[in-house]
Amino acid sequence: MKTKGYTKHYYLMLLPGFSWLTLFSIVPLFGIAIAFQDFNPGLGVFHSEWIGLENFKYMFTLNDSKTIFFNTIFIAVMKIIGNMIVPLIFALLLNELRLAIFKKWIQTIVYLPHFLSWVILSGILLDIFSYNGPINGILSIFDINPILFFARADLFPFIIVSSDVWKEFGFNTIIFLAALTGINPSLYEAAAIDGASRIQRLLNVTLPGIMTTVILLSVLSLGNVLNAGFDQIFNLYNPLVYSSGDIIDTWVYRTGLLNLQYGLATAMGLLKSVISFTLISVSYFLAYKFANYRIF
Amino acid sequence: MSKSRKCIQILLAGILIVLSACSNSSSSKELPKSSTEEAQTAAVEKEANPFGKSEEPITINIGKEIDASDKSLPAGDSPESNQYTRYVKEQLNIDTKIVWQAAAGKDYEQKINLSIASNDLPDAMVVKETQFRQMVKSGQLEDLTEVYNKYASPTIKGIIETTNGLALKSVTVDGKMYALPNVTPEADMVHYMWIRKDWLDKLGLQPPKTMDELEKVAKAFVEQDPDGNGKADTVAITGPQLGGNLNADFLNPNNNNYGFDPIFASYHSYPGFWLKDSNGNTTYGSIQPETKQALSKLRDFYSKGLIDKEMSIRKNAQELIKNGTSGIYFGVWWSGGYGPLADAYQNNPEANWQAYAAPLDMDGDFTPHMGNPSNQYLVVRKGYEHPEAVIKMQNLLYRDESKFDVNVAISNYPLRLVYASMDVMDVTYKMLQEVLAGTKKPEDLDLPGYNLLKADAENIKKVKLEPYNNNDIQYWDPNADIGVWKRMYSTLVGIAPLQEPFKRTYSVTYSQTKTMESRWAALDKLEKETFLKIIMGAAPLDSFDQFVIDWKNQGGDKIIAEIGETAQP
Repeated sequence: MKTKGYTKHYYLMLLPGFSWLTLFSIVPLFGIAIAFQDFNPGLGVFHSEWIGLENFKYMFTLNDSKTIFFNTIFIAVMKIIGNMIVPLIFALLLNELRLAIFKKWIQTIVYLPHFLSWVILSGILLDIFSYNGPINGILSIFDINPILFFARADLFPFIIVSSDVWKEFGFNTIIFLAALTGINPSLYEAAAIDGASRIQRLLNVTLPGIMTTVILLSVLSLGNVLNAGFDQIFNLYNPLVYSSGDIIDTWVYRTGLLNLQYGLATAMGLLKSVISFTLISVSYFLAYKFANYRIF
Repeated sequence: MSKSRKCIQILLAGILIVLSACSNSSSSKELPKSSTEEAQTAAVEKEANPFGKSEEPITINIGKEIDASDKSLPAGDSPESNQYTRYVKEQLNIDTKIVWQAAAGKDYEQKINLSIASNDLPDAMVVKETQFRQMVKSGQLEDLTEVYNKYASPTIKGIIETTNGLALKSVTVDGKMYALPNVTPEADMVHYMWIRKDWLDKLGLQPPKTMDELEKVAKAFVEQDPDGNGKADTVAITGPQLGGNLNADFLNPNNNNYGFDPIFASYHSYPGFWLKDSNGNTTYGSIQPETKQALSKLRDFYSKGLIDKEMSIRKNAQELIKNGTSGIYFGVWWSGGYGPLADAYQNNPEANWQAYAAPLDMDGDFTPHMGNPSNQYLVVRKGYEHPEAVIKMQNLLYRDESKFDVNVAISNYPLRLVYASMDVMDVTYKMLQEVLAGTKKPEDLDLPGYNLLKADAENIKKVKLEPYNNNDIQYWDPNADIGVWKRMYSTLVGIAPLQEPFKRTYSVTYSQTKTMESRWAALDKLEKETFLKIIMGAAPLDSFDQFVIDWKNQGGDKIIAEIGETAQP
């Protein structure tokens, strides 16, 4: 009797989350219909004219489609790699520090940018990289002509990726630091008694100890491949860098919201969702296989 | 077992409550509407006075654009409650409620687009052409034909008629009038050169007339340290800001400040405009060889550092003018006093910005493109009970505009549309000259159709110092009344260049065709991106040729044909 009363509370606690999910994630799914319609807001989803795959056909005739798919994947993959390697190395370096206070200080300082929004950071970045900004000031010392960074399509993706890694690496380090504390200290003592140097201890104790975390995180990030970061790019880009910086999300925003082409924008968004869904399924399968990670 | 089933039932019941609560709220909205509607139709039949005060208080929910830099509201006032809204309440018994507000420009447009897409419209708002078409197509708008005929004041009707039917034509679909169009003065359409005359004087130069002279002056502005601070930190020509346009186009033909329209025009290039070629066929300005020529020149200017290096990346083009870094920009008459020049003056009282009809074409003519008299559309949501309210508000504004304190920005008037006779600025300019010369008195200038003229005449001597025929900045007293100065400086300095005859070029159409609704966004993006890249050196000049081919193939040819058909009488 007692245990059954207990489960009731669990269901009640589920209720707010479940209603939220229904209202904001399941009900809006009907909006997908817009991708197959000549959508008319006055008539709504139920009465707009159906046009089949017309929107998708037009989408594939656009030169933009290829560009934005490539940009999205390129930027996202670079971000995933950067956001994996940099925090990992940084965590390993921090772990070697002996002075606890110093360690805490560094940790606090590097994860501060994580709490600033891209609206603020973009302003700062635009200033730093501007024509008369400090970066060009430094370049001028070496007799390099000023570069207009945010007008250069060839540089733009790298600025995006490196600024994102800079913003997030401190925060991402926390996960690895947590994994590091999980390693049994007696392993280090044993290794030290066996005469292992610091490098050897790092390679043979530390790395194997956090390997499952690394694999798990990299596999799970697969599901994020098409999320190249709307906020950041939207706040930093301009028409000159569309060719290398425009991603699916920013394109959908412009097409749907600024140009009122709802059907086309929805079609592109839907395609993104389908690919993302596939990737998430694959990564979940891989996570189970290699890191024995399961939700259910 | 049964217990757990009960739990699921509770869960489902919970969901049902949430869902029904949602549907309830929407259905309860419907009910009272029809009853008030009936009451209102009865009232309409009773009286139709353009300035009549409503017996019952009317509430109108509006979406409003806000100028973030506007600091003119007195303490305690807000966009929702200020001298204008209180006056509307007092005179017409109309309460204006702002349901949402957004920064003027892209933010405001986006907010409107969201309202349209979600079919969640305020009772009334001011939209632009493409949005208007979309709303008509979606059946979201109230038919205003009847209330316009009944309630629009004779003056407003008169002004709308001065456009020879253009204004009404632009809002009439299938014989019904779906919006109230504005009418802008012709002066809002003409872009020309604003230049720092104190810099010219300092370097011993004359105001440039041709492109060659412009280049010489710009070069001197960059190289000869006109601000005298010993640093090479000056920019000659200000360019468009992030999201700004290089040139005006048929959808946004007016008020394209900081673009390069006069430079294009001096090559007889009219990008973004639909033109008639020598054979009488319709063609598109952006794909003409003249446009390539103008782009080539702009590219040359940019590479020589004569144009702001950070144009189209900078968030606010005005800052260069305000802080005295730049010496030349292109804009319309009001982009002076109403624009950055009050701040420029506060920062440096010697900044002597003057306006000239330049650059000229090869034959020495000034050949600007012209716009459309109507570029704002006041729309009313379908089913709103008091469509006449918006019309009365325009009647009132036009009749009593001169009574308001000019120091409070007029953009705070709810749902304001610009109404002006096409020639209003020219007339104002000429009359003010007469007032200054002493040949006319303010009392003589209470002319119908020119609602601000008398007040302007009364105010001019507050801020203009002698000699009256010299408009240099030292003969003004902006501090006497900065609000008055903004208007007077814009008028006297800004309208002077338009006093000489010039050659006007109009677009064949100022509205979208059927194919454009789906294809135009992609074509427009292709064009703007290509042009910007060519000017800023990110793409070779010859990518223009590829652009012309792509543009035609991706639907441009079809659109030209469509416009050609509709343009035939």
